[in-house]
Amino acid sequence: MAERLATLVGIYALLGLGYQIVFGQLRALNLAQGALFGVGAYATALTAPYLGPLALLVAPFVAAAAAALAAPPMLRLQSHYFALATLAFASLINLVAVNAEDLTGGANGLVGFGMSLPRGTILAVAVWLVVAAAVIAYSWVFAGAMGEKARLLRDAPLVAASVGIDAALWRFLAFVAGGACAGLAGGFSAALTGVVSPEVTGFPVMLLCLTAVVVGGTRHPLGAVLGAAVAVLLPELFRGLQGSWLLAYAAATLAVVLWAPEGLAGLFMRRRALPIPLAATPVSGGRRLALDHVSKRFGGVEALSDVSLTVDRGEIVGLIGPNGSGKTTLLNAIGGLEPADFGTITIDSMHLERLPAHAIARHGIGRTFQTPIEGETRGAGLARALATGAAFLLLDEPAAGMTDRERELLAGQLRGLRRDRGILLVDHDVELLTRVCDRLVCLDGGKVIATGSPLQVRADPRVRASFLGVPA
Amino acid sequence: MAYALVALGFVLALNASGAVNFAHGDLVVLGGAVAVLLAAWLGLPGFLLLPLVALALAGAGVLAAHVAILPLARRPPEASFVATIALAAMIEQTLTVTMGAAPRTAPPFLGSGAVTIAGVPLGLQPLAIVIVGAILVVALWFLLERTQVGRRMRAVAADRHMARAVGIPVRRYVTLSLALSGALAGIAGFLLGHQFLVTPTQGAGHMLKAYIAVALGGWGSVPGALIGALAIGLFETFVSAGIGDAWASAALYVAVLLVLTLRPRGLFGEPVGQRA
Repeated sequence: MAERLATLVGIYALLGLGYQIVFGQLRALNLAQGALFGVGAYATALTAPYLGPLALLVAPFVAAAAAALAAPPMLRLQSHYFALATLAFASLINLVAVNAEDLTGGANGLVGFGMSLPRGTILAVAVWLVVAAAVIAYSWVFAGAMGEKARLLRDAPLVAASVGIDAALWRFLAFVAGGACAGLAGGFSAALTGVVSPEVTGFPVMLLCLTAVVVGGTRHPLGAVLGAAVAVLLPELFRGLQGSWLLAYAAATLAVVLWAPEGLAGLFMRRRALPIPLAATPVSGGRRLALDHVSKRFGGVEALSDVSLTVDRGEIVGLIGPNGSGKTTLLNAIGGLEPADFGTITIDSMHLERLPAHAIARHGIGRTFQTPIEGETRGAGLARALATGAAFLLLDEPAAGMTDRERELLAGQLRGLRRDRGILLVDHDVELLTRVCDRLVCLDGGKVIATGSPLQVRADPRVRASFLGVPA
Repeated sequence: MAYALVALGFVLALNASGAVNFAHGDLVVLGGAVAVLLAAWLGLPGFLLLPLVALALAGAGVLAAHVAILPLARRPPEASFVATIALAAMIEQTLTVTMGAAPRTAPPFLGSGAVTIAGVPLGLQPLAIVIVGAILVVALWFLLERTQVGRRMRAVAADRHMARAVGIPVRRYVTLSLALSGALAGIAGFLLGHQFLVTPTQGAGHMLKAYIAVALGGWGSVPGALIGALAIGLFETFVSAGIGDAWASAALYVAVLLVLTLRPRGLFGEPVGQRA
């Protein structure tokens, strides 16, 4: 019994590991993994009478071939279309399994091939040797540069393309390799049970695989093994619950998605995460950047009118306001690109307002711009500003064009940078500003109309009227 | 026509949350199950049960929004895919445990007889499905295109950052969309439940058909979903009459793969822009 369970855990671990390549590394929601498992099971069952134990080796090739055949049209598709296409592909396999009775034995399935396949301890050892090899291969492949490339493909596909990573080739290889793992797992499961029926191609297998990987951890090399162990052993523990163990299991999956997105493996291994090395440069210089009654005119237009504000080291100040309210002009005035007409700009007691831009930079003010330089990734501007060792950062819409996930990463980085720097941050994403900023300053028509905590400023009726476009 | 209700609810949830609600099919089944239970308890006629079922499932939609969609709004769409898949499994298992795996029959809407109109005998239930469906489709169109609430729902669907920036409470509108989506699913489940019975495991099938209808009709397009659903209904009826149920489904899946290969953004394109 224990041996059988151990073998089963190994089989699901292998299935899940293949799934991690596609779903975890490339974040492609492939819903055909369960069906490919079934393809492997049928391949082994059908060839076992002729090939004996070698039939197990047929399984990964047949499943990989099926994946390769189906892949070209599907891999061009965007996330949800990809999920649908793989689901349709899986449903087709399931229909064939049920209805092609001459080949698959129809709903009754295939039996009597088990004699020619390894069983018992030999099977368990074989399964776990394969799992160990696969885990080692997986962690070796995704540890170094390949892992970085996969991360880039997942989080910033456009940037990945711009640095020469062939996304289509990656997805194809991942899909086929994942399919091969599923096929081999299916072959092993045929050997374990001695029966292959259409259920092995059904959606419940896919569901089990998906939830196991999510619960265990979608990318960690041991995630699939942990998930498989939970998926197989939990029902044994909850035998008394009868049918409702699946309910408990689904609830557990939901909980993991909500509260532990890196899965169980992530919970155990969290400490090993590398810190973002952005804050490494030591920072020296003044403590407080202060603007006092700063004004700036372009012809007859008052771009900045009597603006006073301070940014201390260790705080993030958000600058909000409608388009044309003077946010970028203010950053340019501090940085010396468009010197102020009136007023003073100081770091501690050092006056900056009459200095040229390069000198201001040497006094510890780093700046990023709205438009990134062609060929650079988005973080490059920030990295460049940091490399100067600036104590104060002026960031002009760093989150523009970012996905929600990238915004989260940026927010984390900014919190890290705040420790010994002062940051003046311009952005349109009020939610992001509210989460990362200590204070907000709202500009309208070149004037400061509100300043205070994010919640105070957002609740201010004048801010709502000017920025959110609703009457006060 | 009932497919159209399923697909419309699906597309509403999709637009609001930007992610596929895999539990939608199970909400349909839940609608059927609630109808069965309410009919047993209250013994009301079908047309009085309808608003109760819709209300109950609107509640379920709100619950789904708060459990599996809103908390994950800032994560990649795959997170809520997985969360709703888990939710779907939970609904399915709960139903299996509480009502058993055996199929049940939902009460008819008006009656199970037939009427003869212009010499053609028509079943009351199919007739009811068509009429209720048509009324709801028109009502939904009116809501989305002719009211402030609908305009805001479409704004949230089109660009949630922009919608938030102009002061629309995005979370509230996502919840509202999910409630409407749930109500439509419930009504569809109730109406389908009389003719095609209610079994806990049907959810995936409903979901797949709605998914196909929406993908073919154009991701996020409400009229597209309607046309897609009607097309699937006609396709199934005629093809399965010709070659049998199983091969009709197979032909449908092959057709889907073909369409996606030739037109990667659905038959009518994608009106709301990319949602990578």
